[in-house]
Amino acid sequence: MATSASREQVETQQTATPTTASGPTAIEVSELNLYYGSFLAVADVNMSIERNKATALIGASGCGKSTFLRSLNRMHELVPGARAEGTIALDGEDVYSPTVDPVAVRRRVGMVFQAPNPFPTMSIYDNVAAGLKLNSRRIKKADLDVIVERSLRGANLWDEVKDRLDKPGSGLSGGQQQRLCIARATAIEPEVLLMDEPASALDPISTLAIEDLVQELKREYTIVIVTHNMQQASRASDITGFFNIEAAGQPGRLVEMDTTEKIFTNPSNKATEDYVSGRFG
Amino acid sequence: MLRLRVTLQEDLDLLEASLQEEGELVRRALRGALNALEQQDAELADEVIAFDDQVDACYFRIETGIQSLLARQAPAAVDLRLVLAILHVNLHLERMADYCVTVAKLTKLVAGAPADPTLVEAFEEMGSRAEEMIRVALDSFAARDVDRAESLVELDELIDRANRRAVKQVIALGDDDEQREWGLRMLLVSRCLERIGDHAVDIGEQTAFLVTGEFREFTDASH
Repeated sequence: MATSASREQVETQQTATPTTASGPTAIEVSELNLYYGSFLAVADVNMSIERNKATALIGASGCGKSTFLRSLNRMHELVPGARAEGTIALDGEDVYSPTVDPVAVRRRVGMVFQAPNPFPTMSIYDNVAAGLKLNSRRIKKADLDVIVERSLRGANLWDEVKDRLDKPGSGLSGGQQQRLCIARATAIEPEVLLMDEPASALDPISTLAIEDLVQELKREYTIVIVTHNMQQASRASDITGFFNIEAAGQPGRLVEMDTTEKIFTNPSNKATEDYVSGRFG
Repeated sequence: MLRLRVTLQEDLDLLEASLQEEGELVRRALRGALNALEQQDAELADEVIAFDDQVDACYFRIETGIQSLLARQAPAAVDLRLVLAILHVNLHLERMADYCVTVAKLTKLVAGAPADPTLVEAFEEMGSRAEEMIRVALDSFAARDVDRAESLVELDELIDRANRRAVKQVIALGDDDEQREWGLRMLLVSRCLERIGDHAVDIGEQTAFLVTGEFREFTDASH
């Protein structure tokens, strides 16, 4: 993807953003700038996201972490006027390359949203199968049964719903609905699973169930999770990235990224320390 | 900038103040133990032993405060390191006070026995250095002064040398049974004072951990 002249202006304002990776890389983000119209929302992000690890993105509201997350599967560009500069390489291939189909990217990089959003009129079974059907894959009913069961088991929901698969997904509790959405996202076997505050609308028990699920899911998938809950980040992730804005109207930047243990015990950057210790204001 | 986590900061300030208070109590206990030893004052030794309850009360207050703070405030980063450091320093101070009690008990055991004035004088010097080390340890902790905390190693070396000299002096005491018994008990006194110095160095290491986020021994075990 081409870079614009405005990038040079931005580069003069900041130092290089950090990256971290010790294991195999799933996504390599380089010199990423994200815009809403002419407004630069996120600037100069360089980041290596490790495969089969849970990476948490933290930061105050408006720092650009959700915008960044949505850029990873090209959902950012669905907002009118939104655009991206730089590269996001998934297994070495730039997802923003003109030859790449955004739909194909979203199949490889699934997403779970803040509020559980099962298709309300569909059954539990059809909710899970929806992704496969929407992706136009011709698939036998017996095979679909296997995938639905495997996905629901993977989301720790099978035992709770196996006797009512034909009932509407909207009849489940909030925590169950969110796990249903996770099952729906994993049914198409993505490589990466993005989670945008997946537990913020849930009660504490359902929240812990989602956090436990993250630990299981990362064996199969690379997880990137945006959260406002710092204890959730410290509990559920292996790597943590801190986004920050210097002042209102300024772009969000990746300030520091390191192991979650390091970020929450001895961060290198003062702004990170202020944020994780709750002194940010 | 908006001031946040006021309660957490107040709790941390309170814990640090209590830690300094505990340190002051330990210094008083040490001074009392040294005076009782020098003056062969069994009554003062009893007071030192009873005084340990005050140190223990302070220790438990800090321990309980840390438990509550961890449960309710979930500190992170430098706040977490401070709480962990206070947890360790609290234990080191309590152990120091226990050594003071041991010195007082030994003083009572040898009451009336013939004391060697050279050794008693040496213990006064060792004890004074230990007092100074407690002060340096707590001052450098409060000031987050790693350089000063590291100076504790040199102070400790002086106590260690005095401890080694004490062994030689006890061996040279001669064949008198009563004096030999006094000498053997005084070796334990020397050991207690030497251990107080070691705990002061340990507190210095907590200061370094608090500031740098990395724990390291100032000296290796062979030292």
